[in-house]
Amino acid sequence: MILIWMLCILLAGGILCWLAAQRQPLLARWIALITVSADLLIACWLFPVYQAFPDNSSWFINYQANWIPALGVSFHVALDGFSHILLLLTYFLGILAVLCSWKEVRERTGFYFFNLLWTLAGISGVFIAMDLFLFYFCWEIMLIPMFLLIILWGDVRRHYAAYKFFLFTQAGSLLMLLAILALYFIHGQQTGNYTFDYFALLQTALTPSTAMWTMLGFLIAFVIKLPAVPFHNWLPDAHGEAPTAGSLLLAGLLLKTGAYGIIRFVLPIFPQAAADIAPWMILIGVAGIIYGALLAFSQTDLKRLIAYTSVSHMGFVLVGVFSFSSIAMQGVVMQILTHGLSTGALFLMAGMLKERLHTRDITKMGGLWTSMPRLGGMAILLTMASAGLPALGNFIAEFFILLGTFSNNPVLSIIATLGLILSAVYSLRMMQKVFMGPLISTVPVVDLSARELIILTALSISIVVLGLFPQPVIDTVHHLSTIHPLLHE
Amino acid sequence: MNELQLIPLLPFIILAMASVVTILLIAFRLSHTVIQVTGFLMMCLVVFATWYVRDTLPEEVPPLFIVDGQAALFTGVIIFCVLVIGLFSYIYFEEREENPKEYYILLFLATLGAAILTISQHFISLFIGLELLSVSLYALIAYLRNRNNAVEAGMKYLVLAALSSAFLLFGMALIYMEAGSMKFSGIAEKLPQVSSSPLFLMGLGTIVVAIGFKLALVPFHLWAADVYQGSPTPVTAFIATISKIGTFAVLLRFAQTIHLQQYPLIIAIFSVIAISSMIVGNILALRQQNLKRLLAYSSIAHFGYLLVAFLPGNEAGTEAAAFYLIAYSITLLSAFGVITLLSSREHEAETLDIYTGLIWRRPVVATILAISLFSLAGIPLTAGFLAKFFVLSAGVQQAVWLPLAVLILTSVIGLYYYLRVINTLFGTSGTADVMQKTVHPFFHVSTYITLVVLAGMLFWIGVFPGLVLQGIRLFLLLH
Amino acid sequence: MFTDTVLLSATTPFSYFPIVLQLCAALGFVGLTMFATHFLGPKRKTSDKLVTFESGIEQKGNARQPVAIKYFLTAILFVLFDVEVIFFYPYAVNFRELGWDGFLAMLLFVAFFLGGFFYILKKGALKWED
Repeated sequence: MILIWMLCILLAGGILCWLAAQRQPLLARWIALITVSADLLIACWLFPVYQAFPDNSSWFINYQANWIPALGVSFHVALDGFSHILLLLTYFLGILAVLCSWKEVRERTGFYFFNLLWTLAGISGVFIAMDLFLFYFCWEIMLIPMFLLIILWGDVRRHYAAYKFFLFTQAGSLLMLLAILALYFIHGQQTGNYTFDYFALLQTALTPSTAMWTMLGFLIAFVIKLPAVPFHNWLPDAHGEAPTAGSLLLAGLLLKTGAYGIIRFVLPIFPQAAADIAPWMILIGVAGIIYGALLAFSQTDLKRLIAYTSVSHMGFVLVGVFSFSSIAMQGVVMQILTHGLSTGALFLMAGMLKERLHTRDITKMGGLWTSMPRLGGMAILLTMASAGLPALGNFIAEFFILLGTFSNNPVLSIIATLGLILSAVYSLRMMQKVFMGPLISTVPVVDLSARELIILTALSISIVVLGLFPQPVIDTVHHLSTIHPLLHE
Repeated sequence: MNELQLIPLLPFIILAMASVVTILLIAFRLSHTVIQVTGFLMMCLVVFATWYVRDTLPEEVPPLFIVDGQAALFTGVIIFCVLVIGLFSYIYFEEREENPKEYYILLFLATLGAAILTISQHFISLFIGLELLSVSLYALIAYLRNRNNAVEAGMKYLVLAALSSAFLLFGMALIYMEAGSMKFSGIAEKLPQVSSSPLFLMGLGTIVVAIGFKLALVPFHLWAADVYQGSPTPVTAFIATISKIGTFAVLLRFAQTIHLQQYPLIIAIFSVIAISSMIVGNILALRQQNLKRLLAYSSIAHFGYLLVAFLPGNEAGTEAAAFYLIAYSITLLSAFGVITLLSSREHEAETLDIYTGLIWRRPVVATILAISLFSLAGIPLTAGFLAKFFVLSAGVQQAVWLPLAVLILTSVIGLYYYLRVINTLFGTSGTADVMQKTVHPFFHVSTYITLVVLAGMLFWIGVFPGLVLQGIRLFLLLH
Repeated sequence: MFTDTVLLSATTPFSYFPIVLQLCAALGFVGLTMFATHFLGPKRKTSDKLVTFESGIEQKGNARQPVAIKYFLTAILFVLFDVEVIFFYPYAVNFRELGWDGFLAMLLFVAFFLGGFFYILKKGALKWED
């Protein structure tokens, strides 16, 4: 029930923002901030509940209510450690998204925060839905407000980017809908019980070819969202053109729903088919790591550069998931968290720079350290985190993934390791172009304000903490190895 | 036939009386408002009559009619649509110079035609219903006879509809020649002997042409855009909803009675029609700058989707089709309602630039239009999503994979133009404000409220479809 | 002789004999009257009288002349009512079999009919002078 309250708070908060802004535009951002903070508090409050749970491995909150009984659709939400961590990430980044739009968004504030909160609601719904119909529902709900965020508050080429984003993801999700329906009918014909419930559908017995086709329906949707290489096309445009908070949510959360979907649905429901396709997916993942890094290196647009680093980092997720080892799986969860934080932080920085310089072109930046030492200092920490420097969260994540993959696919994991080197190359180039060298821009710039400092400090602290004490996170996902028979210790 | 059998026909008799009453009201020179209110009350009376006769269903009125749950369901939707369209018509025609009174006679006659289609089980009643519908529509489309587009649209519809009626008659004649019966069930009995005869199949084919014309399916869709654009907006709403519901209802009954879906050839023909409608409709809509034309092409695509639910020929397909039609009608009514509300005496609000930035000028109206476009695009939280969902699930159940794949691909294409309109709504450069109408405050407000209620229904059905679904099942069981 | 059942049955050519008789009578009447009027009536030949009768419209010249809508209106209304009268015919043929039900149905039909007529009258469609 508490999970539903979390969703309702966000949805109601969104509507309230819209209404309040009609009278007092400034009120909207406060409402948004309070709403997301309330949800973060609830999510934190759930932490002891989770600890108190005996085997801290399974579903510690499970709520089910009838929705459309005629179709076997129920409002089934549940929470395990993995979902809980993702919820925490969602609300943490949600607060930062509200804070970073504090000054940036000046027109139609109410509608802006409405979209922001509804996107967050959709994302949290995706992370807790245990009914495939509900899952699809939330999966779609997070798209529309995101589309509006990009198309209304985005940059110059926002129309193109928004359409591309929407059409790509929608094509994938309609395929997923078809696959969900196929699964529903196969299960119904086998057992006579027509239901969309996740736990019931887990028991479906599928012939190898059906399993392969149905799995592809799911997998394509998730891989587009992740994104993996042939389907990554929408990402640089969408990330580049979105407003800062939009980029933050896209990189920090929307991409994670793809990874979440693979771990939660593809692996447990289609274990054999997933094992069959695993070598190809690892190959795609490695291709993404290298290709994304190379493209990132050649970008001149700061936001596009960061976007391509996401492609590279998400390649690690794909590799880790399909290597079927429990160490790699822990790495994947770490990667999901730390990538969300570090890339989110980089997008925030890009937003802050753009607010001051009115450009995203790194050839027009340079020598900013002198005028913005605080931002520079933060930037060096966050870029290094993104490049996978030890003692920071990303290092642990990528190390675990490579370690887990090495045992069953040494060649590809060695190639993937190249990605780490390349990431150092593009990160250093970015730092050097933006903060070092002669001062190019003539615009007088001011350093970080207190609000911005708080945002970046919070992110930096959490990355360092995750790098030094990853154990709590790793503990929460122990059980992921039990849901998948092919995972071995 | 005796008097008892007339009782289930009561709603249809009242519907027929509505146009006679309107004639007399006009003869006594009563005002537009009186006619409007009387018409509204008569339609309410039809609804009550349907409620009153519910226990006698299903009842056959041989040889022409059968009043069963399915007929009652579709008639209910038709009456609901005409209630809303009647309301929209008031403010629309009150602002134009033409005499609006005769409009209502034609409107009710056309509705009667559509309603008769839903209960017909005989070629004669099919033809009577279809002609009542078409002939009234000829006049309705060209009702604003001083507008160039209207006359063009009327002529186009007249010529093509007459041609399609000829096809229909010819097909009926061929089938009658082979099967020796004009009653659907009579044909079904003779089917084993005649089903392979080329003349019989040719008859079926020509009937498909006529039905395809009425539903604006590719390749019989050429009239759609011009007629949608040229007609007065409430009439466009009528063509898009009532006319198509009636035609689809009779197609459904015909297919159910003679088990049309057991013939691979027929399935192949309908698959080709469905696939080409989805592709052509969506692609032609991509570049439209005129909202009414855009909706015309989108409706071609939507009836392609609907045929995907029709293809399996099972219970789930019928349910899905009924749900789809309900969701689709509510959606289109709210879209056309917004167009009506924004149209001024000089201009139909049909070009897209009128809608630029509408959400900042008239948030409620624009939100309603946006919701209905989302519903047409099949986005969750709206009725359109569940409608598409049911169609997909009916298709998956019978494994008609090719049309399903096309449905998915073309919906993605379709998304593009719906998003384009939505993007326009949210645009920045607002043109001069549309004239605020305060001439008929009561009707203006009630139209407004109706639109809000329609949008609310879209949400309600989109989130809690249980009640509607239950209702549909309950009705469909009465056969 | 004519009451003979053999002659009345439709199978023999001879049963068409009454029709032949009637044809003869009709043709004879037409011929006779044309012949008779030729001799009986007074004759005054003017140019107006000799042209073909076209209901008062010029019979030669440009066909695209404006004609008052009243003509068409009256004509179409005439056709409408004329066609509707045809529906009386099947009723008259089956008058006995249909009984009171048929009578009521016909009464209803006439009532609708009159309703339409009333509408036309009130709309002024039959008013000849403006």
